[in-house]
Amino acid sequence: MRRFLGVRLFSARFQLGSLLSINHEPGKVCLLRRMLQRAFGERTVAITDIPILSMLHTRLGWTQARQRVLAENVANSDTPNFRARDLAPLKFDGPAAPPAALALARTSSGHIEGVGLSQSPFPDGNSRVFEVRPAGNAVSLEEEMMKVAANQMDFQTATALYTRSLNLIKTALGKR
Amino acid sequence: MDFIKTLTIAASGLRAQAGRMRIISENIANADSTPQRPGVDPYRRKIPTFRSELDRTLDTQLVELGRVQTDNSAFRLKYEPGHPAADSNGNVKYPNVNPLVEMTDMREAQRSYEANINVISATRRMIQRTIDILKA
Repeated sequence: MRRFLGVRLFSARFQLGSLLSINHEPGKVCLLRRMLQRAFGERTVAITDIPILSMLHTRLGWTQARQRVLAENVANSDTPNFRARDLAPLKFDGPAAPPAALALARTSSGHIEGVGLSQSPFPDGNSRVFEVRPAGNAVSLEEEMMKVAANQMDFQTATALYTRSLNLIKTALGKR
Repeated sequence: MDFIKTLTIAASGLRAQAGRMRIISENIANADSTPQRPGVDPYRRKIPTFRSELDRTLDTQLVELGRVQTDNSAFRLKYEPGHPAADSNGNVKYPNVNPLVEMTDMREAQRSYEANINVISATRRMIQRTIDILKA
């Protein structure tokens, strides 16, 4: 039981992580947690309750779902009337989320407005369709390959962070 | 497990492209298949079609090879009076297969196949990364 206090300390140090928490309900499905609760009482900390791990959990699930959507696009790259799809990006609505737009304060309507944070001078490349072939198929293999590679990198980043976080817990437990 | 679904989808893509390659190779192999007697049509070019199909057990859009269509364009006529299939004017009907079109189709099938392979290997690396968490 005392071992878990280390985890408590650890999660206290990562309060910053909880500020960044993505929409995730911790410990939603956790039989193990229920068993631990029965064994140790209410004060156990399930591993998914640690904010950074629950964030990474969400991220990994999203990446996995996106890989499926991209695979559908690639497999249907010759199917008539098939349009490529993509997953909506993860919503980031914690308290530390960036404000929508910061505009310059103006004293006169004739002043130049300035570019806000959200307005990029470059158009968003994902919204347009690259090309539609005569058969009605609009899958660009090159674009899909880029997305698969980016998705893989996202996944690697998340798993690497996960490994590091587990190592931190092990350090807190005095295992290494 | 979404990764298993991903692999299944990519595998369905591989299967569809392999079927397309089979039809293309049929076309190329039969590019000179003339009839044995006059008045009979030679080999008619086949066209593979694809269709997207919902797999209800996996809840995913798999791709499948649809019904094989035939190309209804005109046959090539060649003047060969001595040929057993030559008509009264000495013309022989040759299949409406254009090797250039078949080669282009073949490259396209190859490209799609490679794209699916790419998805599979990317997914496999991702699964491997997940397993590596256990070893950390």
